[in-house]
Amino acid sequence: MSRLSSAVVPPSPAGSRVVVALSGGVDSSVAAALLRDAGWEVIGVTLRLHDCRDVPAGRSCCAEDSVARARAVAGRLDIPHYVLDVAREFERQVLRPAWSTYAGGRTPSPCLLCNERIKFGLLLAWARRLGADRVASGHYARVERSSDGEPSLHRGDDPDKDQSYFLAGLDRLRLAALFFPLGRLRKTTVRELARARGLPTADARDSQNACLTQPGRSFADALRERFAASPRPGVIVDEAGSVLARHDGLHHFTIGQHRRLGLGSPRRLWVKCLRRTDATVVVTDRADALLSNHLRITGTHWLAAPPPDGAPLECAVQLRYRAPPIPATVTPGTGGTVAITLHRPARAVAPGQAAVLYDGDRVLGRGWIDAD
Amino acid sequence: MNAVYLDHNATTPLDPAVRDEMLPWLDPRPANPSSLHAFGQHARRAVDQARVRVARLIGARPDEIIFTSGGTEADNLAILGAAASNQSPTRLVTTAIEHQAVLNPGLHIRRLGGSLTLAPVDAEGRLDPDTLLSSLPGDTTLVSVMLANNDVGTIQPVAALAEPLHRRGVLLHTDAVQAAGKIPIDVEQLGVDLLSLSGHKLHGPQGSGALYVRRNTRLSPILFGGHQERTIRPGTENVAAIAGFGKACELARERLDADAAHMLALRTRFEQAILERIPGVTINGRGAPRLPNTTNLSFEGLDGELLVLNLDLLGIAASTGAACSSADREPSHVLLAMGRTPAQARSSVRFSFGRDNRDEDVPRAVESVVRAVQRMREGRR
Repeated sequence: MSRLSSAVVPPSPAGSRVVVALSGGVDSSVAAALLRDAGWEVIGVTLRLHDCRDVPAGRSCCAEDSVARARAVAGRLDIPHYVLDVAREFERQVLRPAWSTYAGGRTPSPCLLCNERIKFGLLLAWARRLGADRVASGHYARVERSSDGEPSLHRGDDPDKDQSYFLAGLDRLRLAALFFPLGRLRKTTVRELARARGLPTADARDSQNACLTQPGRSFADALRERFAASPRPGVIVDEAGSVLARHDGLHHFTIGQHRRLGLGSPRRLWVKCLRRTDATVVVTDRADALLSNHLRITGTHWLAAPPPDGAPLECAVQLRYRAPPIPATVTPGTGGTVAITLHRPARAVAPGQAAVLYDGDRVLGRGWIDAD
Repeated sequence: MNAVYLDHNATTPLDPAVRDEMLPWLDPRPANPSSLHAFGQHARRAVDQARVRVARLIGARPDEIIFTSGGTEADNLAILGAAASNQSPTRLVTTAIEHQAVLNPGLHIRRLGGSLTLAPVDAEGRLDPDTLLSSLPGDTTLVSVMLANNDVGTIQPVAALAEPLHRRGVLLHTDAVQAAGKIPIDVEQLGVDLLSLSGHKLHGPQGSGALYVRRNTRLSPILFGGHQERTIRPGTENVAAIAGFGKACELARERLDADAAHMLALRTRFEQAILERIPGVTINGRGAPRLPNTTNLSFEGLDGELLVLNLDLLGIAASTGAACSSADREPSHVLLAMGRTPAQARSSVRFSFGRDNRDEDVPRAVESVVRAVQRMREGRR
């Protein structure tokens, strides 16, 4: 065990404190265990993203379950554990923007926002005030440090679990303070490590976005309800402009969607685009109508040094979590926009989602996919 | 880790003598005090004995003691039980600095159609009895004023309220959960009709408590069931907890003077050292009579909650009164009622001593507070 620890996490300078974001899942539990074994003074912190007082009396609150699981892990590891209530900031900085994105006929990337603003924003600042200069989490990603100490972000070694996509909005300053002890491990190994240590989370199910969705209701609908929003109703039309049906809000749709369109049509139909101006959903029966080679991203954040003004850069672009990266030429424009030409077409590119730029396994930056 | 526990207002360690008193009732032997047979009689005697011991701590008669599951239930029984026994709609008058176990039943009464009035306190956290009495709404049915505040330790002038209220036919309840075991309590001297106690605040077991109900006070149950506790609090008695609670009250009475003097000496040294060594510290409620064990300190410019966590990492247990850390925590309603700004209230930490603290705990705690505050103030830059 300790040999493995030293292989995957840096040894601790004497008496160094690290805060581990304990979610109540197996990954963060093992991350905490590895750091503890490597000699770090580990403090477990669980972020409470939802205020259970919002939940009607008598209904269970999944936020409490994850807190209790994290607490059990901390007990097993014999480390201090605190709960940091960030519900208000999570709502303000993640959920509200996600709803605005849906309401505007685009598809949000809440996990990126949460990592940038909450987990490695608020939590990192809070950790420093607890005397911890470092924060670690159970993400499958790697931080490498060059000889001059410059950190870079890389894909995790487990190709099925790599989460670097979700972390691409971090900056180098913050990256320098982060550890991802699982970056070199496979999920199966992580589970074995958890079992070997008797961690209560060893066989817990994976939770991608704990608490963001509820059974039988989409994330978008949950947001609409939370913010008591009344989105503009509209129509679903085919490419010729014939009205096929009505809908009660663009948030129900995402580009490329073909289920739950409520059309009852014998034809196979996909959402081709969402028109914000008149809340119209355009569907197509041509699968190749969903393919595109050109896109533009905005709000681009460069984690690596950006290419010099206007110089095109050959790299790979990943357009959603777990999607294969596509070779592309990217050309930075003005004001954080970047034009991207894909060397092979991508299907159902959804405006609002993050496009992450890679050089091999190294993350170069990310931007938000713009509508055509 | 050999930590220093300075959070006795949250809960106290079980006294070993209390534990000994409880253990026989955890043996595999049936003990329902309501049973007629020898087993039942044995248990009944233990409950009787505990009732005598609890009554003695507060100068009551044993038949005036109703056992409950703790302080919260005692407060609820007092407020909701008094409300339910009234023909007319309830008007509860209480203070802005009460525990949630009083404030929230008060809000419930309001939801049920009654009224709730919160009396203010001064900057030292003390209620002025004359102000309360002179502004008392004419339809008031019940007044509830805590004997001592849990956050800052201020002692309230409950005795001054009794006679004037009784002349108006108004019932008087006091939440004495924090006061018991720290200052003398005598229900005759206080003149209260109802008084709440909790076991675990005086080295007894959690899940034990009592409501003192003065003879001839009209009180309806809030739980309905069997005949236990004169049907005011039905349900098979928790014999082990009641026996332990009784013992804890007996110890508290016997040791009161010595314990209070000990805690006061520790707190005095602690406060002096902190004030000498750390700039920008205010003692909240310093100008009012306070419990001998409690000190609530505001550390200018600091986040009290982060200080509590940093102290925890140094092996010192203190509290802000809340159970969970928050990026945007509501500040203490007690400190706000005392006129502190939200920032001042958020910068405060409560240290509460107990009879189990030793002399050497004080320098250790002081060193840790000094260290943590220094580090936090440097870190802010």
